Amino acid sequence: MNKTVNQKAWFLVLPVLVLVAFSAVIPLMTVVNYSVQDTFGNNDFFWAGFDWFDEMIHSDRLHAALGRQVLFSAIILAIEVPLGIFIALNMPKKGFWSSVTLVLMALPLLIPWNVVGTIWQIFGRVDIGLLGHALASLGFDYNYTNDALDAWATVIVMDVWHWTSLVALLCYAGLQSIPQAYYQAARIDQATRWKVFRYIELPKMSGVLLIAILLRFMDSFMIYTEPFVVTGGGPGNATTFLSIDLVKMAVGQFDLGPAAAFSIMYFLVILLVSWVFYTVMTNFDKEEGL
Amino acid sequence: MTRSRNANLFLLVAGAILLVVLALLFAAVPEADGARDWTAPLIQRGWMAWTFPTGLFFIIIATLLVVFTWAAIRFPETPRLGILRIETTRGDRLFITLLGSAFISLAWLAAFGSPLWGALVLCLIYAAAVFRWV
Repeated sequence: MNKTVNQKAWFLVLPVLVLVAFSAVIPLMTVVNYSVQDTFGNNDFFWAGFDWFDEMIHSDRLHAALGRQVLFSAIILAIEVPLGIFIALNMPKKGFWSSVTLVLMALPLLIPWNVVGTIWQIFGRVDIGLLGHALASLGFDYNYTNDALDAWATVIVMDVWHWTSLVALLCYAGLQSIPQAYYQAARIDQATRWKVFRYIELPKMSGVLLIAILLRFMDSFMIYTEPFVVTGGGPGNATTFLSIDLVKMAVGQFDLGPAAAFSIMYFLVILLVSWVFYTVMTNFDKEEGL
Repeated sequence: MTRSRNANLFLLVAGAILLVVLALLFAAVPEADGARDWTAPLIQRGWMAWTFPTGLFFIIIATLLVVFTWAAIRFPETPRLGILRIETTRGDRLFITLLGSAFISLAWLAAFGSPLWGALVLCLIYAAAVFRWV
């Protein structure tokens, strides 16, 4: 059957193009314009060339924020991915309890970021928060407002609480799609539980797992609201991640030029990572199809 | 042959628009002390803070997109497998080139600072390599 080529369908994309231009492309162009100029307010701009990029790329502040950001993303991935798989493996496969677990697992995902932040901000307080008070009564010296380690622990546990469900639900969907015949064959071969996981479940899950890792990496790499509400980037700069630092620079200090250069570099890193993930994923799908 | 005619029509219209924008950009460069001030804001107190160099940068990007779109319609191609072991089309290679060039320029800035002419030469070599082997 010969399909006729009809390029006119491209015109149907126009509304989206206009919307994206309005909400993303034009602001991004403005950021590029800001990044090569200096301003003292009042929309008066002076040419600065690549000075801001030069300054930012050698800035200890940016290096420190980037280091914290990478560490944060690495830690939450290292916890959430294995934990999510473990939970998915142990969730009931069918019946009443599977629905109950699914709803319970989905609950944290439905809570807005700033509400999650507020919940944990109060939950962790030593005077009125359940967690903080309980830890204090048990004799732990826990205070996320003046101890960097406590602040990190709080932010990480909060992220794990908020997002492990996503990994678990994706893995659960991947597990559900494995035909029973695979398990029967494994039983005939007297495969151990570990071997079933390693040679049947993990390979069958790898597609959704890759999506889960991508989503969790991107989200954690751009995290802003939750740590901002809980710690405000403190104590000191201990939990000042990239986007928190960026907002401090752009809106707090009104250093539009350096902040624009900063955000362009941030954007480039995210673009690179997204492209790598996308490429790996599409090539992975092709290999699956063979 | 309507396909190639459509492609050429697209190139003509888009090219004309880009040329008009380029002419407007040149006309908007303000004068200071009798000479043209190439890096001054094009519109005083305009919130987007356009300058001639950034305007030219985006026109070049837009021109590349137009040319590659035209080429994709006019000379359809099948993706090929390069040294990265991933299937790429011309558009993919353009993306890899542009993104890689941004990182090359940043690396140059980190190592040698301004000006970036050396980085531009490196980027062109990199572009040629990407289109040849990736």
